Amino acid sequence: MTATAWLAVVVFLGAYTLIATERIHRVVAALGGAGIMLTVHATDAESAFFSEQSGIDWNVVFLLLGMMIIVGVLKQTGVFEYLAIWAAKRARGRPYRLMVLLVVITAGASALLDNVTTVLLIAPVTFLVCERLALPVAPYLIAEAMASNIGGAATLVGDPPNIIIASRGGLSFNDFLIHMAPMVVVLMAVFVGLCRLMFRRAFVYDPDRAADIMGLDEREAIADRKLLRQSLTVLALVMTAFVLHPVLHYEPSVVALLGAGILVALTKVTTEQAIAEVEWPTLVFFAGLFVMVGALVNTGVIGQISQAAAGATEGRLGLTTMGLLWASAGLSAVVDNIPYVATMSPIVADLVQANGGNESAQVLWWALAFGADLGGNATAVGAAANVIIVGIAARNRTPISFWEFTRYGLVVTVVTVALVTPYLWLRYLL
Amino acid sequence: MRARDLVSAFPTVSLDTPVIDAARLLTEQDLPGLIVIDDDGLPLSILPGTQVLRLAVPGYCQDDPALARVVDEAHADVFLRSLAGRTVREALPTKPRELPVTDPDATVLEIAALMARTRSPLVAIVDAGRLRGAVTLQALLDRLLAS
Repeated sequence: MTATAWLAVVVFLGAYTLIATERIHRVVAALGGAGIMLTVHATDAESAFFSEQSGIDWNVVFLLLGMMIIVGVLKQTGVFEYLAIWAAKRARGRPYRLMVLLVVITAGASALLDNVTTVLLIAPVTFLVCERLALPVAPYLIAEAMASNIGGAATLVGDPPNIIIASRGGLSFNDFLIHMAPMVVVLMAVFVGLCRLMFRRAFVYDPDRAADIMGLDEREAIADRKLLRQSLTVLALVMTAFVLHPVLHYEPSVVALLGAGILVALTKVTTEQAIAEVEWPTLVFFAGLFVMVGALVNTGVIGQISQAAAGATEGRLGLTTMGLLWASAGLSAVVDNIPYVATMSPIVADLVQANGGNESAQVLWWALAFGADLGGNATAVGAAANVIIVGIAARNRTPISFWEFTRYGLVVTVVTVALVTPYLWLRYLL
Repeated sequence: MRARDLVSAFPTVSLDTPVIDAARLLTEQDLPGLIVIDDDGLPLSILPGTQVLRLAVPGYCQDDPALARVVDEAHADVFLRSLAGRTVREALPTKPRELPVTDPDATVLEIAALMARTRSPLVAIVDAGRLRGAVTLQALLDRLLAS
C-alpha cells in the first residue's frame, strides 16, 4: 500500500474512534476526516462529488431528505398519538396487551418511517398512558426502542443502514419486502413473546386505573383532519411508487423527493416549516462518511480488504454469510451502525461479485442488514432510537441506566440473530 | 435613571423549594416571576410566571403538545397533583439560557433590552456578588411612562 493509503487508514480509524466514543460531535468527526482525506489527496472533488463508487451517495442523502420532510409533516397530524391512545383503550388497561399493541404500532411505523421519529412520537404518549395506569414506564420504553429497530429492518426506508445497503447493492424496495420483511414479522412475533418473559414483573393490572384510561379522547389528538388525509394519501402514494419501481422506474430518492414536494405544495405547511424539520446535521454526517469511505476505495484499501476477505472465505459462502451476520451484530452493538454499514458496503459489494454476483450471493447483503439492524438492540448506545429513548426517560425523571437497557438488549439481540441464522441458511445457502 | 433607582427587594426560592410552594409564592404575592438562587444566594435561574407554570406541566405534554388535548377535563383539572413533593431542582429545564441579570449601573434602556431579549418580566440586580433585588416590568414601565 502507498503512503497515502496508510495515511487514509489512520485518518479513517481516528475519525471512527471519535464517532464511536462521542468525544466530539459526530458531524465534526466525519467532516474533519473528510477534510483531511481531501487535503492529503486520498480523494478529490471529482471523486467525492461525482463518483458512484467512491463519492457521496446522493441517492441515500436525498432519500433521507425526502423522507424527513414527509415525516415532519406527518408528525404534525397527531396520527401516532391517536393510534397509541386507541391501542391503550383497546387493551382495556391490561398491561401486557398494551405493550403488545404499542410495540406492534412502533414496529409498523418504523418500517415506513425512520426509527428516531417513531420513538420520539411514541414515547410521550407512553408516559401519559403508563402514568394513568400506574405502570412502570421503563419496560414499555425499552420495548418500543427495540421494536423500532426490529421493525425498521423490514423495508428499504425503515432504517438508514438499509438505505445505504439498497443503494450500494442495487437492491430495490421490493427486494427488502421479499427478503427482509417476512423474517421481521417472525422476529416481531418472537419479540412479543420475549417481552412477556422479560418484563413480567411490570405487568400489574389495576381494574380501577384501567377504567381511567377510557377517559382519554384519542380523536382530540388529530388537530387537522384535512392535513391528516393529505399526509396519509401522499405517504400511501410514496409507498406505492416504491413498490411499483419495476413499472415506474423512479429511484426511491426521486420518489421521496417528489412525495415531499407534493406534500408541501398541497398542504398548508410552508416550505420554511418543512425545511426546519430536516435534520441537516445527519445529512452532512452521511456526506462526510461517504467521502471518508471513498478515500479508502480510491487508495485501494477497500480493494485489498475485499481481496483478503474473498481469499480467506473463497467458496465458502455459508461461512462468510454467518461470519458477516454475527460480526455485524457484534460491532453494531458498540458502534453506530450507520458508519459501520457505510464502510462495509463496498467490501460486501466486492464479496458479492467474488461469489458470482447472482441472487444467491446477495445473501451477504441480507446478512449485513440483519446484523447491523438487530445488533443495534444489544446496548443502550447501539442504535439512535435507544439513545433517544434513554434521553427522554432521563428528562422525565425515570432514568433507564445503560445496564438496565443492555440487560434486555443482549437477550433480544442474541435471540433474534440466532433466529436469522437458520433463516438465511435454509433460504439461501442450502 | 439607572437600575439602582428602580430596584426593589424580591422574594427568592431555592432549588430545594417544592414547586407547589413556589407557585403559591407567585400567586400570593402577585409576582411576575421567580428568582431561583443557588447556595451562594446568587440567581441560578429566573423564571417568568409562565415558566413557573411549565415546571408543573407533565413532561409528555411539553414533548408533545397534542397530548394535552386528549386528557379529559376531570384529569386535566387536577394535573397539579402529580407535582406532589417535586422540587424546583427536579423541574428546572436542563438547557441553560441567558439570565436576565445586570448590575445597579444599568440604564433603563439596557434593562428594557435585556427584558425583551430574555422574554423576562423581571431582571435581577446583582452587585458585588450579592443579589440586591429585582426590577420588574411593571416598575420599569411605570417610571418610563411617568417621565
